[in-house]
Amino acid sequence: MQAAQSLPQRRPAPLSFPRLAMLASERTLIGAHIITALAALSIGILMGPFQTFRRSPAFMEALPDWKIPVFTYYYQALTIHGVINALFFTTFFIVGFSYFVTQRSLERPMYSRGLAWGAFGMMFVGLSLVLYAIASNQANVLYTFYPSLVAHPTFYIGLVLLVVGTWVVTANIFLTYAQWRADHPGERVPLAVFATLANYVMWCVATIGVAVEVLFMLLPLSLGWITHTDPQMARALFWFFGHPLVYFWLIPAYISWYTMLPRQTGSQLFSEPLARVAFLMLMIFSIPVGAHHLFSDPGVSAAMKGVHTILTFVVAVPSFLTAFNIGAVLERAGRSRGARGPLGWLVRQDWGNPVVAAQLAGMILFIAGGFSGLIHASLTLNIALHNTAWVPGHFHMTLAGAITLTYIAIAYWILPLIRGRALFSRPIALAQIYTWLVGMLIFGHGMGAAGILGIPRRADLAGSGYISPEAATWLNSAAIAGVILLISSVLLFINIIGTLFFSRAPVNEDGPITTGSSDGSPLWFERWGLWLGLMLFLALVAWGPLFAETLDLVNGFNVPGFRPESPVPLQ
Amino acid sequence: MHIDRLERYWIIAVTAMLGVFMAALFVSVVVFRVQLPSPVGRVDPRALAETEFATPGLSDLGAGRYDMHIVAKMWNFDLGQGKGEPAEVRLPRGAQVTFFVTSEDVTHGFFIEGHDANLMLLPGQIASTTVRFNRPGTYHIICHEYCGPAHANMVAAIIVE
Repeated sequence: MQAAQSLPQRRPAPLSFPRLAMLASERTLIGAHIITALAALSIGILMGPFQTFRRSPAFMEALPDWKIPVFTYYYQALTIHGVINALFFTTFFIVGFSYFVTQRSLERPMYSRGLAWGAFGMMFVGLSLVLYAIASNQANVLYTFYPSLVAHPTFYIGLVLLVVGTWVVTANIFLTYAQWRADHPGERVPLAVFATLANYVMWCVATIGVAVEVLFMLLPLSLGWITHTDPQMARALFWFFGHPLVYFWLIPAYISWYTMLPRQTGSQLFSEPLARVAFLMLMIFSIPVGAHHLFSDPGVSAAMKGVHTILTFVVAVPSFLTAFNIGAVLERAGRSRGARGPLGWLVRQDWGNPVVAAQLAGMILFIAGGFSGLIHASLTLNIALHNTAWVPGHFHMTLAGAITLTYIAIAYWILPLIRGRALFSRPIALAQIYTWLVGMLIFGHGMGAAGILGIPRRADLAGSGYISPEAATWLNSAAIAGVILLISSVLLFINIIGTLFFSRAPVNEDGPITTGSSDGSPLWFERWGLWLGLMLFLALVAWGPLFAETLDLVNGFNVPGFRPESPVPLQ
Repeated sequence: MHIDRLERYWIIAVTAMLGVFMAALFVSVVVFRVQLPSPVGRVDPRALAETEFATPGLSDLGAGRYDMHIVAKMWNFDLGQGKGEPAEVRLPRGAQVTFFVTSEDVTHGFFIEGHDANLMLLPGQIASTTVRFNRPGTYHIICHEYCGPAHANMVAAIIVE
């Protein structure tokens, strides 16, 4: 198919955006999201190092009475860490970034500012309610909130508001796209917006699972409207959502790698059509794979576990496509910087530019993180690894590594645009990035090794009787990583606060947005209705039988709720 | 849609690699008989006293085979041990034990050190796995899912003599 042959006669003048600044309307909306995200991160991130200290035998031997400051109950701190970092920091950041990418790539304002602020208000109230519930010790249920543990209703209401807010965001982005499409028939939407649209389509399908779980099972149980629940059904619904959730975090990082890194490194994207294929595959195959989180569950058949395993290997393909495409971007960048030989380009990168270095550091972590994921997604190996420290080892190299470092790279250019001042300190930024890389490598390896030795995840190990000397070594190494990561986090917040309040230099790094699209990919890639239908079909095939074998209205739903502090049932 | 020659080779190589991984999994299931937890049955967690979980513990089936019923609860494993006794069970070397485990309150985990035993314990569901204990030693049964303040102390032991 060729690009538009007959362009419309009358096209409205595109909104023109300043290169090294933001329009006032952009600044307020995007600033509100990004700054809320970073403020949330500042609470959530600090809990991480403190947990590594409680899990380190050497640390607890030296300071036997040490407790995590403020959130003294270990699992309260762990709930903060998971819920605030993984659910709220990510979502606020992604939404703010999506608005920036959509408006600038399509050269037009969002369809409705009212909807955008309404969604922000919902998500912000959601954050406040969840923080209240956790801080008041009424929601020590971790970010997976598996029943029959029950939290205070405000916890669930806050989560509902977050998710409904993102649905409104989705509507706003698609309405903006529809307006652009009406003005640009036959044109391909810019790659960054294509990926953003794919991400929100996936998100809307995925959140059906958690919405059903929270609205029909957990919230009514918490309010006392119903008295019993079914933990296996709740876990199935949660993980229908839980795996696409990780791609919801990953796709914005891929948007930065595919559409921004080429500009930032003076290179160009190797293959835009295959980039689109990768995003479509991530969107479609993220849905029918979630049961790989349920390999050890008693109520799910081995057959369904096998089906989801095979599809999990399919969803690895787009990340391998990305490795080639981004590898080619970096090869070209390295050669233009004078790299010689077949592999010289791996070294000749722009390691001194924080915006590039953070993404490169993220990619290094993603290699280890990605393969560790393939390992525990293998259903028989998973028996040795499920719920051990291996799992957080894995997702701290993916989510807390590749994804968060890429978000930090974005923050290092988007915060200056929001504030209208340059990044406070490039040396501090570089120190932050490399301490993060080293810390996360030591942490990921220590946790992985401890997991292989059978150390469980999410356990306050201080005083537990089952840590072997060999495992203790790795847990202690994770605590050393905790110190390094604590330093890195402090450096990050020095730069954020410095940029917002103390920077004087003018902005020198622009938002690397590409407005057009190179030819080559078929237009039917943008048949969103077709993809949605395919996703729902795959969901039916892969999840229908699983829900059918889980659902039992006669003998199921017979478990009362419990507060984590007491073995006495609520009803 | 144009796909570069090298990129095509890469896609073929990656697909082949993932195919090998999948073949290895297939072999581990079909040849080495690695088993995954599969549905055994449901149970009413409010009335465990009226079920096979009324008296947890080991039952000798003869010829080195055993069944073992365990109830997980906040925050210990009930292996049938008496009041004040440690949660541990002694087995002869080579014993093959089929575990039947459930929870009477919240979600717990069941992990035996050094063996292929890894189960989620959900109230309302019976989880089962079979393990052969060939090496003498003490192996902890560890709860690996958060279940409340004393979660990290929820542990039992299997002593193989």
